[in-house]
Amino acid sequence: MPADLQPLLQASAIDAAYGTMQVLWGVDLDVRPGETVLLLGANGAGKTTFLKSLVGLIAARRGHIRLGGADITAMRSSDRMRRGMTYMSELAVFPDLSIEENIRIGAQALGHADAGARLDEMYRLFPVLRDKRRNPASSLSGGQRKMLGIAKALAAEPRLLVMDEPSAGLSPLFVKEVIRIIRGLQERGIALLVAEQNIGFLEVATRVFVLEGGRIRFSGTVAEMSDNEALRRAYFGLT
Amino acid sequence: MLTYALVAGVLFGLYFSLVGIGLNLVFGVMRIVNLAHGDIIMLGGFIALGVVTLASVDPLFAVPLAFVVFVLAGLALYYVLVPRLQGASNPEMLSIILFFGLSQVIEAITTIFAGTSERSIQSRLLGTVFTTIRVKWFGGKPGPGGPIHILGQGFPAPWVIAAATSLVAIGLVYVYLYRTRLGTLTRAVMSRRDEALATGIDVDRVSAAAFGIGLGLAAMAGVFAPFMFGSITPAFGADATVTSFAIVVLGSLGNPLGTALGGIVYGVCYMLVQTYLSSWADLLPYVLLILILLLRPSGLLGRRVRVA
Repeated sequence: MPADLQPLLQASAIDAAYGTMQVLWGVDLDVRPGETVLLLGANGAGKTTFLKSLVGLIAARRGHIRLGGADITAMRSSDRMRRGMTYMSELAVFPDLSIEENIRIGAQALGHADAGARLDEMYRLFPVLRDKRRNPASSLSGGQRKMLGIAKALAAEPRLLVMDEPSAGLSPLFVKEVIRIIRGLQERGIALLVAEQNIGFLEVATRVFVLEGGRIRFSGTVAEMSDNEALRRAYFGLT
Repeated sequence: MLTYALVAGVLFGLYFSLVGIGLNLVFGVMRIVNLAHGDIIMLGGFIALGVVTLASVDPLFAVPLAFVVFVLAGLALYYVLVPRLQGASNPEMLSIILFFGLSQVIEAITTIFAGTSERSIQSRLLGTVFTTIRVKWFGGKPGPGGPIHILGQGFPAPWVIAAATSLVAIGLVYVYLYRTRLGTLTRAVMSRRDEALATGIDVDRVSAAAFGIGLGLAAMAGVFAPFMFGSITPAFGADATVTSFAIVVLGSLGNPLGTALGGIVYGVCYMLVQTYLSSWADLLPYVLLILILLLRPSGLLGRRVRVA
């Protein structure tokens, strides 16, 4: 297989549970370098649990996770992220810290020596954040918080950015802004795994995985998904 | 009399800030109430006693000693205890039981070695290093310094030294939290622990540092306890924990610098009660705790209360 088709991230047969309540059953998913994978599913489908097991915030009960060919299944989350995978949670930011501190932490938490350079780079990408850099993150609007969350995650120069519902709580206008930002990340060659229930994100997806009841129900391209009648009914509201 | 009570209240208040700040730092980062906090303060007092008894030097030398010893002890304790807490099904409840047990063990062991009698240190011994410096470097006359005058009122030198040391320590905590990389990461963990983990912050390392520094600050405060309260016993820790908790809740639970405000308010109330209603003084922490929880549960600085 050519190097650029080798998966950057490969999750195989992942089971995960909270105590005795199993949430994921044998989930397989892969992300190739530079591509954008959309993990689509309704509330409670297990999207967040799967992302948390990928980044090490909960332990997978079964299965293996490989990043850049290395098995990271047993690694601590901070070590996984040092290997080039960053995670943007739904919360996204530290509300009590300033905007500048949030971005610096994104770089510093993963050991970047030159946080100042990363900070300048993020301000170039998101100029609105520079204007408010001394303000606490809690003073930002919902859309700007997502922007800051993305800047915080990007400050670590990830190979793979894992995003948990970037559209959550945003107005349609801000969702479009987030999609525009994602296009910008694609142009920079960053691989993206986006968990969403908003099908608007299909327009930026290379491939789609549909998660239902903790199991992968479909995986394929957007075109293949739209050819699937059951999925078309469920997600596009078409008959 | 009112001026005396108010100034003494501020001096005691600064000291009380130091008494409580370590407890709040540990709570803010780890979301556990260290019920052995008062016992660490008590042990700091015994370190001061040891320094005076064994080395015959100014008990001020016990301040850095107590800090370093308990930062190291805190780090060791963290790595022994926390993995067990994290593995438990109900870590918050287990932490309360665990630190209560630790408190009892510390008190019992100290009682075995030191007995139950009250121990005190002559107040003229605190700050003798300053007299030595004054005599040797500036040609002053030897002899006890006597009271220090503020706003026309004379106050025991140990009160002023304890307040000044506390002010410096609180300033250093501020510098740590707002001017260092580890401090910024500490505030991030205090802000949102889950997000800190999601960002890749080594929360264990940050928590261990906060736990060690929290214990170190408590031990530092303990060095002054024999001077501020007249004497200490191994049983002193239980009262000190309650007092610390009242100060922390008064300022704002989870916000270490709010403890500075809580300490000063507590100190002024403490001295006013001591001056005008001394027989009620022991009730003060409990009354303040009830009042603040009824009237402003988020504390004076109004920070959102975190669920432990």
